[in-house]
Amino acid sequence: MSAPRGFALAQCDLVSFDRAYAARCPVQQPDRYRLLDALPEGQVRIARGAGVSYVAASFGADAVSLDMRAFDRILAFDDTRGLITVEAGISVGAVVRFGLARGWCLAVVPGHPRATIGGCIAADVHGKNPARDGTFRRHVQAITLLDPTAGWVAASRQEHVERFDASHAGFGIPGLILNATLQFVRAPTAYAIRRIPVRNLHEAHAELVAHAGAPLLYGWHDGRAGRLGRGVIRFGLEAQTAAPGRAPRTADLPAQVTPWPVRTWNPLGIAAMNTWIQRRWCRPGNATVGVEAALFPLNDARAYYAGFGRAGFAESQWLVPHATYETFVDELDGLIARLRPRIGLIASKLFDGTPDGFGFDGQGVAFAIQLADPRAVPQRTFIEALNELALRCVARPNLIKDSTLDAATVRRAFRDFDVARARLRAFDPKGLQRSELTRRLEL
Amino acid sequence: MTAIVIGASSGLGRALASELARVRKPLLLVASDARDLAALAADLHLRLDANVATLALDLAGEPNPGARVIEALREMPAATALLLPVGVSRDDDDFSLGVGAIGQVLAINLHAPLAIVHALLPVLLQSHGVIVGFGSIAGARGRGRNVVYAAAKRGLETFFESLRQRHAPRELRVQFWKLGFLRSNLTFGKTLPVAPVDPEVVARKVVAQLDRGSFDRHEPRKWGLIARIIRVLPWFVFRRMKA
Repeated sequence: MSAPRGFALAQCDLVSFDRAYAARCPVQQPDRYRLLDALPEGQVRIARGAGVSYVAASFGADAVSLDMRAFDRILAFDDTRGLITVEAGISVGAVVRFGLARGWCLAVVPGHPRATIGGCIAADVHGKNPARDGTFRRHVQAITLLDPTAGWVAASRQEHVERFDASHAGFGIPGLILNATLQFVRAPTAYAIRRIPVRNLHEAHAELVAHAGAPLLYGWHDGRAGRLGRGVIRFGLEAQTAAPGRAPRTADLPAQVTPWPVRTWNPLGIAAMNTWIQRRWCRPGNATVGVEAALFPLNDARAYYAGFGRAGFAESQWLVPHATYETFVDELDGLIARLRPRIGLIASKLFDGTPDGFGFDGQGVAFAIQLADPRAVPQRTFIEALNELALRCVARPNLIKDSTLDAATVRRAFRDFDVARARLRAFDPKGLQRSELTRRLEL
Repeated sequence: MTAIVIGASSGLGRALASELARVRKPLLLVASDARDLAALAADLHLRLDANVATLALDLAGEPNPGARVIEALREMPAATALLLPVGVSRDDDDFSLGVGAIGQVLAINLHAPLAIVHALLPVLLQSHGVIVGFGSIAGARGRGRNVVYAAAKRGLETFFESLRQRHAPRELRVQFWKLGFLRSNLTFGKTLPVAPVDPEVVARKVVAQLDRGSFDRHEPRKWGLIARIIRVLPWFVFRRMKA
């Protein structure tokens, strides 16, 4: 191949955010438009944003990762309608900050501010209250993709509708997302966040449903035997007054958190953390919090992620329907009492959408269960039992979060797996867009 | 008032464009691809409220790049700064380049900067402006690698020396930055003896120095010492160094 001017390709060591998968992969770093389609025609490739997906969604041993971070510019902004067009490599944090300075904000924002807009679309991420705001796709008006065969494609709700739909939770398969037009919503001055302590996950369910209309709504829960679900539901309403004082801006969580040499989240550490959370957060109360701080709570979680050590962590995230919620929670309680897994934290969120393809949406409550040392046998035993329980309860897994899922489990979880897969691969019949995630799950 | 950045679409050129926009200079951005320029201009305008014009120009193929730049300046405020962070290197630049490739490397690294400076010199003299060139550590001493690139950068250094010799700083400031390794597509994935510097860091320094007379300096400064050591190495030692 005769490389064009500026073509940069190198072998890089990449690791998923949960540290479950690492590989030495070829990475191309285009910084000009002509370099975006500079790879040979039949080359297997996958788009890569900030690389903050929990799973290895942006790289794989046999694929060239296209590092899109140079494509981070704002292309257009309509201050009257709140529409912004950005390149796919821009971080969600940068978009939010640009909007906030002008009185606008994104309705759906993932926890990591470095996640790119392309990544948010490819994973169809959810924000702080998916029951109210849906997932990211609801706020995307149009995208431009590069298909290795078809070339540039402009897709929206009016043209190339199927490709537009498939690109959300398409994990990069329907094409390389180059830019997107997003719909802002009016930004509040701050959020008035109220804390409601809950003793168990049954109470949590009631509180989540009761506050379904709040712009911010999520729970944090203890995952230990005998204490399962004890925690707090936080819901935030738009405040008209600014947060008191001038809070120092926390630095963005890095794309890769350097693990501590010693794993802190052993039974003692988990007990200490939960006790601290219980005392610090699980009391009734109100607080006014700045918008940025409320949208990116992970900026304060650096030590939490580092504490998982070199072995990393796994996040089992399942969306449990309301109809099977009681069964799921009761059996989860029994499972944890029996197997005593090391669960760092459980987060809960309410969903009220329509499941589509491999997206993480539906009606019910999502539990994100973060486990230390996921390769240890007792932890794996728990994960397998949890997966079985979730499947019995007709729960839906979040593919972008869970490195422990295998193809067989996902096939059972998505009854229309073959249809959903065919819908994605229709845009990539040669299988050129591949990652470790798509390989592992046979997407 | 207007600052012209040649090679503005990536690396140091893009960083310079952002930094100049931040200090509220009207900009004429020149690069080969109109798509890159449009994206950059939109971004600078929206984020920094910058006044940006663009010119798509293939320096390797344009016979008279200076005339095109002059033409593009017609609607702009008077030019007071010309920055030339333009360059291209190739991995196969080890005496194996064909005549076309040699011409391309020379055109982008040497001919185009010279031609543009020649064309803009009267304008910049009139505005008592500044011309900023960028050399490379590769030009410190000829090696068996980056052969044409290093020759072009050495030639550019000589040209800037001539400019500095000819014009006193009060009539024209001439600044030449000899750069060490920059984090860019040219160094991406390469094993380097010294960690590369972010273009944004260099851009901040360059823009901060625009009003500070004429000079020729290494950036980062430690590269001055490295270049001196490379130059004084006895020939029999230098010859044995890995190309």
